[in-house]
Amino acid sequence: MKTPAVPAINTVAKRIVGRRDSVLARKNIRESLVSVAGLIGRPVRDNDGRDLGKLVDVVVRHGEETYPAVSGLIVKVGARKSFIDGARISKLTKDEIRLASTKIDLKEYKRRPGESLLDADVIDHQIVDVNGLRVVRSADLYLAPLDKEIRLVGVDVSFVSFLRRVFPGTLRRRPTPDRVVDWATVASLTDSGGQVRTAGPRSALAQLRPADLADLIEDLVGREQGALIEMLDPNLAADVLEEMEDDDLQGLLRGLPAERSAELLALMEPDESAEVLRDLNDEHRESILDAMAPEAAKTLRLLVTFDEALAGGVMTTHTVICRENDTVAHALSLLVKHRERDISDGVVVVDSKGKLLDHIQMIELVSAKPAAALSDLIGPPFPTAVHIDTPLDEVIEEFSNNRGSSIIVIDSANKPVGRIMADDLVDALVARTERRGFAQGSGALT
Amino acid sequence: MSEKKEAVVKKAAKTVKVPQISHRKIRIAALLAVMGPGIIAGLSDDDPAGITTYSQLGAKYGYRLLWVLVLSTFALILFQDLGSRIGVVTRQGLIGLVRQKYGARSGVFSASSLILANIGTMTAEFAGIAAAGQLFGMSKFISVPIAGMLVTFLVLRGSFGRVEKVFFLLSAVFLSYVLAGFLAHPDWGKAFHGMVVPTMPFTKDAVFMATATLGTTLAPWGLAFIQSYAVDKRLTRDDLKLLRVDVWTGSLLTGIIGFFVIVTCAATLNREGVFNITDASQAAIALKPLAGTLAKDLFAVGLVGAALLAASILPLSTAYSVSDLTGRPAALDDGYAEAPLFYGTFAAITVISAILVLLPGAPLITILLWTQVLNAILLLPLLFYMFGIARDRRLMGEYRAGKRMQSIYVLIIALITICIGCMVWFTFH
Repeated sequence: MKTPAVPAINTVAKRIVGRRDSVLARKNIRESLVSVAGLIGRPVRDNDGRDLGKLVDVVVRHGEETYPAVSGLIVKVGARKSFIDGARISKLTKDEIRLASTKIDLKEYKRRPGESLLDADVIDHQIVDVNGLRVVRSADLYLAPLDKEIRLVGVDVSFVSFLRRVFPGTLRRRPTPDRVVDWATVASLTDSGGQVRTAGPRSALAQLRPADLADLIEDLVGREQGALIEMLDPNLAADVLEEMEDDDLQGLLRGLPAERSAELLALMEPDESAEVLRDLNDEHRESILDAMAPEAAKTLRLLVTFDEALAGGVMTTHTVICRENDTVAHALSLLVKHRERDISDGVVVVDSKGKLLDHIQMIELVSAKPAAALSDLIGPPFPTAVHIDTPLDEVIEEFSNNRGSSIIVIDSANKPVGRIMADDLVDALVARTERRGFAQGSGALT
Repeated sequence: MSEKKEAVVKKAAKTVKVPQISHRKIRIAALLAVMGPGIIAGLSDDDPAGITTYSQLGAKYGYRLLWVLVLSTFALILFQDLGSRIGVVTRQGLIGLVRQKYGARSGVFSASSLILANIGTMTAEFAGIAAAGQLFGMSKFISVPIAGMLVTFLVLRGSFGRVEKVFFLLSAVFLSYVLAGFLAHPDWGKAFHGMVVPTMPFTKDAVFMATATLGTTLAPWGLAFIQSYAVDKRLTRDDLKLLRVDVWTGSLLTGIIGFFVIVTCAATLNREGVFNITDASQAAIALKPLAGTLAKDLFAVGLVGAALLAASILPLSTAYSVSDLTGRPAALDDGYAEAPLFYGTFAAITVISAILVLLPGAPLITILLWTQVLNAILLLPLLFYMFGIARDRRLMGEYRAGKRMQSIYVLIIALITICIGCMVWFTFH
């Protein structure tokens, strides 16, 4: 049995090893690597070489450092498992661990936030290989002395290394450094109580495109999906959520606390958030909306009630609306204020009763005098508008007739309530095509 | 701006009518979308080996051991339900979870025994196709390669949705057993009695038959399959309720089909003194003078459908398990380049099994016998692993099995252990 993963990972590893800032490039580190999988079950001895017990697991502390330090060992002494502080390790080789002092206090280990057990939580669990852009299972982990502490420096994801662990004796403990990937280039998603993990992978993750991150998240398991989202900057996370398949997104939200879901959904485009919320069950939806800022929740509560097959169901409420007697400068300042939103192509102008008058393009605003009133700029071509419950097919027809990048949605009183952007329409069309399939199936369009 | 906008939006809400789709319509559509894992995994357990076992049970013991089937169906419901739930909640296949929770050795042990057992079972499916083909006068050198290519083409060329549809169509073939059952005019009273009153002749043969029935109904590859398939179908926790309907339906259907095979043979072969048959096609031939040509043909058609369905599922189940072990989750909609291991395993299992069936002088009987033994041995650790995962709070969270469910699982596992224990004991005495 041969896995295709090996050559791919090897090239990644070589690329990493070749990098100057990788610790694995240092010869002394490469030669002192200790396999964690091989170390489990080895004797823990005192300074005189007397056996104290057998190693059960290695505990590391995740912090701001790229390579987490070993904070302690779990050792089986007699029938009990006790915790030994990492500071007391005097020597750690692939065959044994020596402690500086003999005294062992038989203290039960309790999981602390920010710590993970390498054998129980990381080995054989899924990790994100940031360079290879994929989810893999870690086959082994490697420790090495670095900056006066023993640290987790590398991870092995090759199948050959995994098989090595099945065999008894020294074969199991022999490190295979050519297959080791720098710990800094993977994101481990162990459950450490929502704590910030390593700094390296976080910045590496931030370099990825939202669509790639979405693919990665879709490949992950429930709890670990949540962990990856927690590692991202909220704005990036919201972008990632927008890129995810509906089913996967629902699954993800179910695993996140309501407050976190609320935060992310509020950062997403309202029409996208509404689409997700629409698919959740009432109880879950309410718990998320309750955790949201009242204003955002109010908009979403309304959007959710619209049918997806009508204009109201696909529109976004992110629209800058100005009165006809507002100045050009005022309109521009509003646009600047909301610049992170996807609304930068102009403002909607309404009369004193709030009825739609015109949509004024950015270029018109910029070329007009700042002090001029918006009413001066009103004139043909007038924008296309559709009623809030226009069927999607008619919206599409209007769109293709008028060839703009957006269309304004109005209510029965001729007041603008939102806009449909070209990309919203594309999303709606894609969703429709998918729904036509028999099973809700594994997503991919075929 | 936003105050203004809110006011506008609020007013709009009053004027907009939201079309109401009837609740019922949504429910049925949702159920159809979730349907699949339970029915397909369940019915593929009624493969040629299963039909053979059921036929033998009916021919040898009449209606007496029907309760074994009832018990097996109950166990099937419980563990298929558990498997599908584990798949949906953890979004990982069984073998991957075994690697994660129980370590490298358990993972490699499970995966390699699964591969061996699945090659054996796949050989049995092809043997079933060969035998059924011979009933219609077709040489096995024609029927087996055609079946192999058909299955490979179906699973590897189709998209997930299309593949699933063909699976459903194949499942419909099982109705022929129900028809054959009615044609045999069974004694329904005796059948009911056999289902609810457990009697057991404590002989080597009876214990073997009972264990074989249990083992063929609750097959290791079926357990691995339903979990991976639920993952590949990307079902979510919201689907769990509907998925349960699917699993219960599938498992019950599996039991019902088995019931009809047993009563057909009980009402004909057993009553007329034909006690010993070696495979399902023999049962079909023996049916002809007793229940008519139609019953024989229905039996044979059912056999072909059963073999084709199982022959599609087995390599797929193996491919899922292998990808799972290596940590490269694969899906039916992945391309060849994305998942060479997945498709490689699929092809290897199919080709090796076809060769084993066609090779003149291959020890087919020995292979099939050892496959049954291996499946029985493998079943226990897999059930233990599933039990362990079911009670793992970190993996299952709120879906962790409660105390009462845990004791039911323990009871079933204990019962299966006793069966297998008895079988082993009889083997050496």
